[in-house]
Amino acid sequence: MLTLVSRNSPAAPSGNRRRRSIEGGWKQITINRAFLLPAVVVFVFLFIIPLAQGFYWSLTDFTGYNPEANFIGMANYAEILRDPSMLSALAFTVLFAVGTTVIVTCLAIPLAVQLNKVFLGRNFVRSLWFFPAVPSMAILGLVWSYILSPLPSGVLNTTLNNWFGIDAVSWLSDNSLARMSVILVGVWAQVGWHAVLYVAYLQAIPTEYYEVAKIDGASARQQFFSITLPLLTPAMVISSFLLLTGGLKVFELPYTLTNGGPGFATNTITQALITSGVSQGRYGLASALAVMFTIVVAIVGFSQLKVTTMISRRFS
Amino acid sequence: MKAPLWRRGTLSVGMLALALIIGVPLYYIVINTFKTQADMVASPLGFPTEWSFENWTQVLTNPTIYQAFGNTLYVTVLGVLLQVFIGAMAAYAMLIAHGRLTKILAAVLLLGFMIPGQSTLIPLYRTLVGLSLVNNLNGLVLMYLGGSIFCFFLIQGYMRTIPYEIIEAARVDGAGTFQVFWGIILPLIKPILITVSVFQTMWVWNDFLLPTVFISSPQKQTIVLQVYRAVSEFSTDWPAFMTVTVVALVPMVIFFIFTQRHIVNGLLAGSVKG
Repeated sequence: MLTLVSRNSPAAPSGNRRRRSIEGGWKQITINRAFLLPAVVVFVFLFIIPLAQGFYWSLTDFTGYNPEANFIGMANYAEILRDPSMLSALAFTVLFAVGTTVIVTCLAIPLAVQLNKVFLGRNFVRSLWFFPAVPSMAILGLVWSYILSPLPSGVLNTTLNNWFGIDAVSWLSDNSLARMSVILVGVWAQVGWHAVLYVAYLQAIPTEYYEVAKIDGASARQQFFSITLPLLTPAMVISSFLLLTGGLKVFELPYTLTNGGPGFATNTITQALITSGVSQGRYGLASALAVMFTIVVAIVGFSQLKVTTMISRRFS
Repeated sequence: MKAPLWRRGTLSVGMLALALIIGVPLYYIVINTFKTQADMVASPLGFPTEWSFENWTQVLTNPTIYQAFGNTLYVTVLGVLLQVFIGAMAAYAMLIAHGRLTKILAAVLLLGFMIPGQSTLIPLYRTLVGLSLVNNLNGLVLMYLGGSIFCFFLIQGYMRTIPYEIIEAARVDGAGTFQVFWGIILPLIKPILITVSVFQTMWVWNDFLLPTVFISSPQKQTIVLQVYRAVSEFSTDWPAFMTVTVVALVPMVIFFIFTQRHIVNGLLAGSVKG
């Protein structure tokens, strides 16, 4: 390890005019850049090249059976907008992303406020809420597919029947019910995690604020809307960004819970990508979908960056 | 500023009840591993009429589950170590090199953080097929290296808090670039290294997308894939499936208990970015 860098000659050859005289000459600069090299290699081979390849393929009729790729312009993109499975995937993915973001945010903030109070068994309650974030979403999807099953051993239908005499509900085989079920399981899986994020921010709010507000006679409701909520804005930006981008990337939960069904009702972009690209070998078509997906995620990502900087400017 | 006792009591009871409802699925899969199938159909949520350990012996004597654990452990340990190391190296380069090229490179790398894995999946799949790295654990590790960019992102934010004088002083004392990195920087940034490793471990261990695309043979499958494929294997035997599920959950739960603190730290570290 010692021999790796033996450039510590007392008189640095050049570059002394720079502020950081210790940086040394080109040799040192090369060594410095060498540390960046592995990340650059990863970036080029796992991001840049495949992105460029995918973009090129999206304009061709490249398939696994016809390795000769012909340039066909935007035909793949037009095909996506005609294909019912892909359209359904686009629609449900957006619905899932927006639905979970809105519901989780509305539930996680009040939950965080409660979890931040002092009560017996608080740690236990927090851990239970957080728990669904620990196992793989794929496993949670499978577990819920058993719970929501219409078979006699499906626990939700059995319980509803035993306690309230409600007939079996086809949670996963009706289009709208299946969409709703997937979204609600997604909410169940994420709300505790996001509540913990909010709790971390709540703890940073000085208690004096509340004491002063109390002296001034503000009600709990007023305190929530005038102190808590505004000070949680940065947390809301982060949480909703994570929910939105995570929601757009959703795959494992619908795949294991409904396998995209009934029909294509809960199909997702990622599942459509894998079905067309990997299983059917329609690389051109799948690449076009991937390009569209990348653009959507990038737009969401950059608007988040914009909003964050706007907000941090306002609060500083 | 404490609320009156009765109020805290109501809060306790209410929150406990709510949390227990949220936890029902967990209870459901655990309790049913001790039931026979008939028992489960008769009362899915009740206690077993007779505690049966048959499912457990059946699952735990099946060698495939140990193989799946081994595979997952291999991919997770190797994948996460490499990711964190590559990310830390790049962050260190940012700290010591001040040239314009480095800055531009760093900014471009941060863009990679925005690119979802799905965008590159199809071309990478073709490439790995061409390299015979499909259905190969090392191919899977290679795919996970994409996470290095995220590690770089979090680590470089933390590294900015290190005073440059520390590095300068070490240099004056005659330490080489790599020595400073290994002996001074890495120990100094240990908290963020732990946090990042915890996050990436949870991702890689739990991931289903990449294994389901890249792994086809049962000998190579990861634990999550094994659980998924157990569904068709035990299509009618739910208790057996639940037992596989619980076995797969145990390591993550233990991991979670020991790293809980770092997860919350990570939530904050991740949000300081922006």
